[in-house]
Amino acid sequence: MVTILVVVAILVCALWIMGNHLGLVQGYDFGAGAYYYADIPGIENIEKEGVYTTKVPYWIHVVLFLCWGWLMYRLWVWIDKRK
Amino acid sequence: MDKTKKVPDFWGKEDWQAVWLGSIVILLACVAVLTKAFDFSAVKFSTWAVGEAAATKAVPLAEQLGAWAFWRKLIVTVVVLCTLFTLGVKLQGESVKKYIPAFLCLFVIALVVRFVSAEFTLNRYLEWAFWALLIGLLISNTVGVPDWLKPAIKTEFYIKTGLVIMGFSVLFSNIAKFGLYGLGIAWIVTPIVIIFMWWLGTKVLKIDNKPLVITLASATSVCGTSAAIATGAASGAKKDDLSIAISISIIFTILMMVFEPMIIKAVGMSQLMGGALIGGTVDSTGAVVLAGNALGPEAEQAAVLVKSIQNILIGFIAFFVAIFFATRVEKSAEKKVGAGEIWTRFPKFIIGFFVASLVASFLIQPIFGGDQVSAINKVLDQYKNWCFVLAFTSIGLDTNFKELAKQMHGGKVLWLYIIGQTFNIALTFFAVWFLLSGVVFDVPVLDLFK
Repeated sequence: MVTILVVVAILVCALWIMGNHLGLVQGYDFGAGAYYYADIPGIENIEKEGVYTTKVPYWIHVVLFLCWGWLMYRLWVWIDKRK
Repeated sequence: MDKTKKVPDFWGKEDWQAVWLGSIVILLACVAVLTKAFDFSAVKFSTWAVGEAAATKAVPLAEQLGAWAFWRKLIVTVVVLCTLFTLGVKLQGESVKKYIPAFLCLFVIALVVRFVSAEFTLNRYLEWAFWALLIGLLISNTVGVPDWLKPAIKTEFYIKTGLVIMGFSVLFSNIAKFGLYGLGIAWIVTPIVIIFMWWLGTKVLKIDNKPLVITLASATSVCGTSAAIATGAASGAKKDDLSIAISISIIFTILMMVFEPMIIKAVGMSQLMGGALIGGTVDSTGAVVLAGNALGPEAEQAAVLVKSIQNILIGFIAFFVAIFFATRVEKSAEKKVGAGEIWTRFPKFIIGFFVASLVASFLIQPIFGGDQVSAINKVLDQYKNWCFVLAFTSIGLDTNFKELAKQMHGGKVLWLYIIGQTFNIALTFFAVWFLLSGVVFDVPVLDLFK
């Protein structure tokens, strides 16, 4: 019963948002429906190049990225093994 | 005699076919854009509107349909997709005579989906994936799907090909766009949320459908629909699993896009922190930009930076999910799975996805520059969308409402999303506070005038 009420409330809320065009920006020709960045018209104008610069070398980002990914994979396997 | 046995796996198996079919599309787009020898753009409806919703950006339908360019692109799209998929089907040993008329009919339905989803309001909130499912479901649950249309319903084939094409848009350079701050917010949090939702779904809520759990977990923690498509394919999720994960993600994204900036404003969070929180938690990239914009220009940039890092994660998450499912979920009893068996089970299209990403990041971008990569991706994006629309329409056509309701596991799936998303917001908030509040580290400065 609670689940059904939650579903109804969520749907009503979403319909109300859509009906009133809430959350949209006048100058942008897209909305929540643009799931992926490449689906957004003019993304190159929105996402400014070089808006943040870092002194940390690129390869350090890559190494940290891969290490954390590997560590998390091991954690996932370990959790899955536990009853 | 089985004709398919004559064709080597690389040419005859759907998984490998997705790799080389996707590669052909990428190659053609690269040649078309870099040489400017021909126009390879696929057809797309511009936003249209009726009544007072007719905004300045909407293009009247008569104007769109009256342009020769529209029809030329439509012909190019049909010819390219029909030729490539028919070639694949032929090598799979299936009847081309049956496939071609079925594909053309499926394409017409997909065209209707794209037409409907280009309407001003529908385009902004729901877009094509939702409408493809809905229109497909309406057909299959009312008039039914005729037998002659069934040869074209090849959901996985279209999805895998679309994913290989999408791989070209995943640029590794994005990883350092927001330095260690971005990496900390996007990459530290994402796998923890996935593992948390896996534990919650499989151990606490006892949902036995593991592909559904991981598909929903990826949609929640990475970036909604695109992540769900990739991990769904990597884990061998059923069509209903994908439909449910995406529908839940789409509906909640609408709510989060509106309410999250309101709450952030109400609690007085800075633009930088608020934007990063939005980038890390709102599922769809479009919604991230809009929700960030609602807070201000700095928030919009921070949101886009964090989200662009999350977009790179799709391939890696799908890769790890494929390995995990090949070694743990699909193994029988306690038998150890050997390397050969893992390779057999491993979804090969992920290799295509990675190769496309590597070529774009380390070959095309350094040689031809970011602008050319963007131009190529503009072309590829439409082909990717067409593949996904064909896939989602196929899912709708192949599903009935009763099956779909069963997959909700009595509401457990909804609660998995709600609790997982709440955990995602809480953990991302902690990461954002830790990295961007100035309490522990210096607050980064974004140059908004570049």
